[in-house]
Amino acid sequence: MHASVSAIEYYLPEKAVSTADLAREFPEWSAEKIEAKTGIGCRHIAASDECSSDLAVAAAQKLFAQGSAHVEEIDYLLLCTQSPDHFLPTTACLVQNRLGIPTSAGAVDINLGCSGYVYGLGLAEGLIATGQARSVLLLTAETYSKFMNERDRSVRTVFGDAAAATLLRAVDTKEPLLGPFVYGTDGAGGPNLIVPAGGMRQPRSAVSAVEVADDQGNLRSQDDLFMNGPEIFNFTLSAVPESIERLLQKAGVALEDIELFVFHQANRYMLDHLRKRLHIPSEKFYFALENCGNTVSSTIPIALKRASLEGVLKPGSRVMLVGFGVGYSWGATLLRPSAMA
Amino acid sequence: MTRAEFLKSVDEILELPPGTLQGPEKLEDFPLWDSTAMISFMALADSNNQTKLAPRAMGACETVEDLLRLAKVEQ
Repeated sequence: MHASVSAIEYYLPEKAVSTADLAREFPEWSAEKIEAKTGIGCRHIAASDECSSDLAVAAAQKLFAQGSAHVEEIDYLLLCTQSPDHFLPTTACLVQNRLGIPTSAGAVDINLGCSGYVYGLGLAEGLIATGQARSVLLLTAETYSKFMNERDRSVRTVFGDAAAATLLRAVDTKEPLLGPFVYGTDGAGGPNLIVPAGGMRQPRSAVSAVEVADDQGNLRSQDDLFMNGPEIFNFTLSAVPESIERLLQKAGVALEDIELFVFHQANRYMLDHLRKRLHIPSEKFYFALENCGNTVSSTIPIALKRASLEGVLKPGSRVMLVGFGVGYSWGATLLRPSAMA
Repeated sequence: MTRAEFLKSVDEILELPPGTLQGPEKLEDFPLWDSTAMISFMALADSNNQTKLAPRAMGACETVEDLLRLAKVEQ
């Protein structure tokens, strides 16, 4: 048995922040400049009382409302988030109850960011191939906005909140429809994309809440999300080409054999540079940033859903997925989509 | 990429008229020399000179000349 991606849906919170809105808040930057660099015209932001579980439940409910999947068939729930509702209990357990997934199902949280979707697919394939599960619901949900300082344009221009739901079913095929997988980890990069305070290492306090301006006038405290853009870019330039090479070798295929490339949608500038450096034709490289921004672990499933709706993602084609970011953590795989709902 | 072409590209990154930069200019004098500009320069060096720049080393650069040296741009 192998895993097959049989349905994807996603949910974006109601509140949208346009690039024009941000340009009004940060008059030293024009809307044109923000959009030219990021490729993002709008980001969706969760309401103050809206948490990752709410987004995840909304995405899953959309998926079940399609009619192609039933909640009773789910026997394993994987939920990828770095902004859980609570330290404990596990957000996946709360979501199991809210969705009415059978109590006989397994449920677990995965704490990963931009690489999380590829890792989630890898875990789902493992669960199905070993007979531990037959229908895995993979949810990715993030509310990074709750970590962002209102006066930090370096993150507010890039990140948006979202959730995605992917159903993976066991299918009896000779060849896997997902994989092989390659992974990578380098915790030395941890400090370059981090929320320093709020965990056990540095609990939130009056001291951690003190805001400090950086060289470029961005304000943030230790309670807020910090991203060292040049270091992240540097990491990406090394990790992504290397992981793609490893994946192609492992799969025994050439870059030219890949019909569609769906990378983690970090920002347009970075993706454009990677595409050119890897000599990937623009018509094979998919972008899905403009209306939602970088939604962390949900960027790839959102892109897959949009590509499917646009007819760019064709059943049976060979699609390369690459996730990379916070950790540092990265992973890549090949997907052969079946007729996807 | 020649030195002149590199300088012209840095003019563009810093939104200066073409031909403005010669090399000795101090980076701190340009308000647009920020993390976004650093990323653009890293991409420029990577694409045209196959040179991977360490952000920390870039942060230690004081002048445009220092940047060109780091990117191994021929004099």
